[in-house]
Amino acid sequence: MKTFSRLLPLSLLVLICLAASQLPAQDWVHTGTNLGNDRIRIAAADFRPLGSDPQNPALKTVFDATLFGDLSNAGIFDLVSKSLAPQETPGSPQEIRLTQWSDAPANAAMVAFGSLSAGNGRLIVYGWLFDTRNTANPQVLGKQYNEDASPDSARTIAHRFADEIILRLGGGINGIAETKIYFVSSRTGTKEIWAMDYDGQNQHQITHLGSISLSPRVSPDNSRLAFASLGNAGWSIRMYSLELNRPVGFSAGTAGGSNQSPAWSADGSRIAFSSSRTGDPEIWVADASGANLRRLTNFRGPDVSPTWNPRTNAQIAWVSGRTGLPQIYTMDQDGANIQRMTDGGYAISPSWAPNGQFLTFSWNRKYGPGDPGGQDIYVMDIASKRWLQVTHESGSNDFPSWAPDGRHIVFERAIGGHTQIWSMLADGTGQQQLTHTGNNFMPNWSWK
Amino acid sequence: MISLLEKLEQLDRPPAPDPLAAPAAGSLVLHCVLFSSLLLYGMLNGFFHHIMWGNPGAGGAIQVSLVSNVLPLPAEQVNENVLTTDTPSQAPAEPTPKTKEAVDEKAIPISGKMVKPQQKTAPKTQKNQPQPRDNRAQYGEQAGSIMPRSAQAMGGSNGPVSVTNGDFGSRFGWYVEVIKRKVDQNWYRAEVDPRTPRGATAQVYFKVSRQGVPSNFKINNSSGSPTLDLSCERATQRVDTFGALPAGSNDQWLDVTYDCAY
Repeated sequence: MKTFSRLLPLSLLVLICLAASQLPAQDWVHTGTNLGNDRIRIAAADFRPLGSDPQNPALKTVFDATLFGDLSNAGIFDLVSKSLAPQETPGSPQEIRLTQWSDAPANAAMVAFGSLSAGNGRLIVYGWLFDTRNTANPQVLGKQYNEDASPDSARTIAHRFADEIILRLGGGINGIAETKIYFVSSRTGTKEIWAMDYDGQNQHQITHLGSISLSPRVSPDNSRLAFASLGNAGWSIRMYSLELNRPVGFSAGTAGGSNQSPAWSADGSRIAFSSSRTGDPEIWVADASGANLRRLTNFRGPDVSPTWNPRTNAQIAWVSGRTGLPQIYTMDQDGANIQRMTDGGYAISPSWAPNGQFLTFSWNRKYGPGDPGGQDIYVMDIASKRWLQVTHESGSNDFPSWAPDGRHIVFERAIGGHTQIWSMLADGTGQQQLTHTGNNFMPNWSWK
Repeated sequence: MISLLEKLEQLDRPPAPDPLAAPAAGSLVLHCVLFSSLLLYGMLNGFFHHIMWGNPGAGGAIQVSLVSNVLPLPAEQVNENVLTTDTPSQAPAEPTPKTKEAVDEKAIPISGKMVKPQQKTAPKTQKNQPQPRDNRAQYGEQAGSIMPRSAQAMGGSNGPVSVTNGDFGSRFGWYVEVIKRKVDQNWYRAEVDPRTPRGATAQVYFKVSRQGVPSNFKINNSSGSPTLDLSCERATQRVDTFGALPAGSNDQWLDVTYDCAY
């Protein structure tokens, strides 16, 4: 009996082990229709060079790299990596075999392909976008471009083709591949206004004032640039014509006191800025010509950094220090209906999203001695005042600016004494550094 | 007489017993020999049996070789009719038309002859004719139905295909994906009352113009949760544009119903 009782647990264990080994493995898959949004899987085939022009290889390299970069930066695509894409380079709809792209390992739902040929100083590009799963009517897009044969043109054509793809598949929102970013750079010794493509390419200097220029803001039609500049009369709002390539007058911004942080209205007819001509920095509004100047705020404490609601063009968000530390407020364009958006900390540099729903700003929520917090970028839903922190634990982040597609944000990040321009998707992913030379500040994304 | 008497005397005497022992023994021996020889034959046959059928030797088994499959075998008669029998009956021959009496059109009618008027008898009809019951199957043999079994070939793989309305989803699946994605991106589930049961589905209807702008929002099917209905409607209203309808579409607008499943 003793032996039996001793062997009973052991035999039970063996039985359990045997039973477990007999059970089939249970798979558990959880899926559904509303569990996140799948990105569109798209493949960008290398374009086929036609002809034997010696410029072809160089132009093709620039074109392919730019198109691939634009699509991967768009934020709405899951781009098939080059190593998974089929080796062939279809140059026309007759040459493409869609199953090669729709099957594993590419598994692409869409494929962009085409041909490129240089000759007689011209670059001709044919581009198509095909839906690989719709073999009956695969064509979504077909485009032809004809530009000068130069690397800049190849990049421009790739930007335009990418923007067309993003426009179609992104639901009517224009791509940002042709947009510009204006910023302040001290790489020449003085702080001047610079511009670059959205991906950091083609950086070039705009102003040559030899002074300190800050807060560049480009007009909605990309014709003029407003910025704050230090001159003989102190800080003034100045205007630079991007069409004439020279400064133009803006009388309302040169009065006494400190005039800073200009902001264009969405229709380009008015400019809001901060001016201390009455002794206290307040928000003022003037026509783009400088006429009809009037004051919007009148409260003790600084009021700076206005930004218009680009959708309604009827509201302004700005920073006010009326309760001590700077906070984000919104008001109607006539100064009425003031609402405080942030509940504490140190909140500055608001930028209003193109769809009018969100504000992004720089916020140090734990500001003060003995309470060191990070200066990070936040996005706030204006209707509910819920916010989302989009940068974490990486330097001091400031001056966010929305891209016109509402999916990207450009901002300034200071790490270890070096300040550079970065961009990211509005949810904080896809961060990439755009500038690497000197110190660069205060980016502003163009409207289109 | 004496001899007769002797015979009678012989009859009166009990007969002498027959000599049975020797024949019986002989019969027994004969049977034993017969049985033992049968047994011996069977045993010897079992030990030294030789295969007569199917042995591998030549000429033993029947050899079968495949015939060519191109023999003009009669085609199998396929009758698709479920209710038919194996022996389809012949259709009855058409009745021979009754020949009318030849009328001599050239004959001159005899004047004064009375022609017997033909009696036209009205067909007898029964009032309230019984209608056949609808739920009764119409049994009986019927002619084999001929249906087109093959799709009509197009004029070529790249030939123009005339496509009528009603197939937007199959031609421009990518645009439907755009609608799905954009509305989903603008649907804030936080607006829905958390007591809403999982799986509740609200359906909104809206119209997308040629330029891609949605309008005419309304709840098509309520989920039973007002917050879910409202959030779904708001999601569609937040979208400014889905992008212009594809150039290949001739639609002036697009009717869309969108399900928001919580």
